[in-house]
Amino acid sequence: MPVKITGIVFYILCRVDWIRTSDPLHPMQVRYRAAPPPVIMHYLHKRVANVKAFTKIQYIFAKFYFSLMNILLKQVTIAEQGSPYNGSVKDILITNGIIQQIEDVIDEPNATVYHLEGNCVSPGWVDIFTHCCDPGLEFKETLSTAVDAAAAGGYTHIFTLPNTNPVVHNKSQVEYITQKANNLPIHVQPLGAVTKNCEGKELAEMYDMYASGAAAFSDGINALQSAGLMVKALQYVKAFNGVIIQLPVDKSIGQFGLMHEGIVSTRLGLPGIPAMAEEIIVARDIKLARYADSKLHFSGVSSPKSLEYIKRAKEAGLQVTCSVTPYHLFFCDEDLAGYDTNLKVSPPLRSRTDMLALREFVLDGTVDCIASHHLPHEWDSKICEFEYAKYGITGLQTAYSALQTVLPGITPERIANLFSVNARTIFSLPNATISQGQKAELTIFNQQAGFVLNKEDIKSKSINTPFIGADLSGKVIGIYAKGNLVLNK
Amino acid sequence: MKLTTPHLLGIKDLTKEDIELLLSTAKQFKEVLQRPVKKVPSLRDITIVNLFFENSTRTRMSFELAEKRLGADSLNFTSSASSVAKGETLLDTVNNILSMKVDMVVLRHSASGAPHFLAKHIPAAIVNAGDGINEHPTQALLDAFSMLEKKETLEGLKVAIIGDIMHSRVALSNIYLLNKMGAEVMVAGPPTLIPKHIVEAFGIRVTYNVNEALQWCDVANVLRIQLERQNQPLFSSLREYNLAYGIKRSMLEKLNKEIVIMHPGPINRGVELDSDVADGPHSIILNQVENGVAVRMAALYLLSPRTP
Repeated sequence: MPVKITGIVFYILCRVDWIRTSDPLHPMQVRYRAAPPPVIMHYLHKRVANVKAFTKIQYIFAKFYFSLMNILLKQVTIAEQGSPYNGSVKDILITNGIIQQIEDVIDEPNATVYHLEGNCVSPGWVDIFTHCCDPGLEFKETLSTAVDAAAAGGYTHIFTLPNTNPVVHNKSQVEYITQKANNLPIHVQPLGAVTKNCEGKELAEMYDMYASGAAAFSDGINALQSAGLMVKALQYVKAFNGVIIQLPVDKSIGQFGLMHEGIVSTRLGLPGIPAMAEEIIVARDIKLARYADSKLHFSGVSSPKSLEYIKRAKEAGLQVTCSVTPYHLFFCDEDLAGYDTNLKVSPPLRSRTDMLALREFVLDGTVDCIASHHLPHEWDSKICEFEYAKYGITGLQTAYSALQTVLPGITPERIANLFSVNARTIFSLPNATISQGQKAELTIFNQQAGFVLNKEDIKSKSINTPFIGADLSGKVIGIYAKGNLVLNK
Repeated sequence: MKLTTPHLLGIKDLTKEDIELLLSTAKQFKEVLQRPVKKVPSLRDITIVNLFFENSTRTRMSFELAEKRLGADSLNFTSSASSVAKGETLLDTVNNILSMKVDMVVLRHSASGAPHFLAKHIPAAIVNAGDGINEHPTQALLDAFSMLEKKETLEGLKVAIIGDIMHSRVALSNIYLLNKMGAEVMVAGPPTLIPKHIVEAFGIRVTYNVNEALQWCDVANVLRIQLERQNQPLFSSLREYNLAYGIKRSMLEKLNKEIVIMHPGPINRGVELDSDVADGPHSIILNQVENGVAVRMAALYLLSPRTP
């Protein structure tokens, strides 16, 4: 057998997970296994009598192996506000997960080269509001499938919601997620619940959860209703620089509502939820954050009035930030004319005017982040009457393309801010600056390419998304995280 | 002649010509119903299932009678509980029934949009017999039919809809129909029972004063207080409701004109309508019930796969 083929066969043998460990590796992890299992080396030593041939095999293998460790991204446009490289087209050499060199042209023979002309590279994206449904609701999603969807959507770091079963409200639940995430190709951090069981009655052990790796605190899809409890929570997390994430909905207004209250809901005969239900909580919580002098983040803001309040709070120097979902920028209540259950979300899709105003707030910088609000649901929970359908859609894979489609003029550095830099600052995450000597955590995207989500390409376990078959612009090319490059097809 | 839609999901989807066709067909069927032999074989061999996921007396009997008068085979399914509470989904229930070779479905359901959902997933023609707080198209058609027996035309007719507008599918269907036919509409009732955006949504008038509505209108369609659909307090007591918004004989006597009183039933006597008004000379409530059969015959006939 020619030496080269033997080398490749050997390489493939090394890649295969021969040893069954008790903790099975993620499929992506197998592909990027760092070293050949010792068993195989031992086996080869015994079998390959010809020492010369064995050396040759080792040489070829080493060359292959080093070329894997060295990754050269050719001709990418760097998108990072404030960076000296911002907007320039560079080659980036990454060795063992560290950015080794950033130059106009790099020639490195021992590197796997990826020609990425026309693509942008941004610090790795962060999603702060993803429901992984694990543990307890694995029929909707698991950590592993959510991570696959996140990686395909360009995310290198996600926060998972506490609304699992059991709820992430103590150390052991936080550790379950962080430990399970060690084997996954991107960073996963849970959001700890603010109150026990997310019931809004008693504070959960937030300090302990923080010490175990909780990213921030939120009752997730259960908005915290009690003002008294909210102010206590805001004060409490100050001790460890924590952030409270609130989904602003006053549940006593439009209690039985199913969609945004307005002309469309009146015409469709569906009970409405007025925008006021959100604005009241935003206004109230801003006051509470001012009193507590603590960090508060609103996620899923859908009303322009709420954003005006937030803008004013920021101008007053309060530590109040916010995120919007891609779908509130993409759809409005008029799209519900056919009672499409895939568009049943909370907060509801607002009017066309509100949607357009929201886009302006994204461009003017009032909106800090885009949060996917990825809420997977089993198929039959959406194949039913609108009233009985569950709230939420999956959104990790389409978040960027949805934004790019509605805001075609958005600059690459604004995208980097919305998807990565701002969230990293707000939640004190390790920064992912694109500079020499820095750990590489990157997202590669293309603003010009188009993207159509086919049902077969959905990585999430659930398919409750209105974006199937939609013609979107902007495409995520791949990510580099935890020492691995993962490219989309 | 056929309708422009394959289903009767709501008046919203109908054109003015559709409505005129339905009303003129209903007129012919009403004539049939005056004959000694009230049956026609128009839908012989067509099987129709009446799926009622909500209580109903008038509408269910009216549909069943309409089907029988047309010679169709009818099948009844009643369940006061919602499909979800029963454990079987609506789609499963309907698909099971359709596999028994049923041609048409008449559906009443407590969730708005339920027939629209079904229409996307099943091949049979669907007639909406009331969905949540959305629409009740055959009721609006029979109301229009009954108005036309009293008045020459709907064009320019002043119709007041009085009562619980927010929870009434009858109100919504009536507003759609009257708007399309060129009538003028005013709604009246307590502010908590009138949708906030109704003026922008339909371009109609709103008043919180019943006397004003009665003074303005030619026809008053008084709606039932939908106690079963109100999950939160929207007015203090039935007694107070009657004091402020109930129609009393004295109010009608004070008017300097004759108006027509309608009600889709069942009446809460002494709440929205006093007995002497309900049974009085102004009322055409029982005519409405009679016309219901003719209108439903027309709807079923025009939607059936048999009709050319």
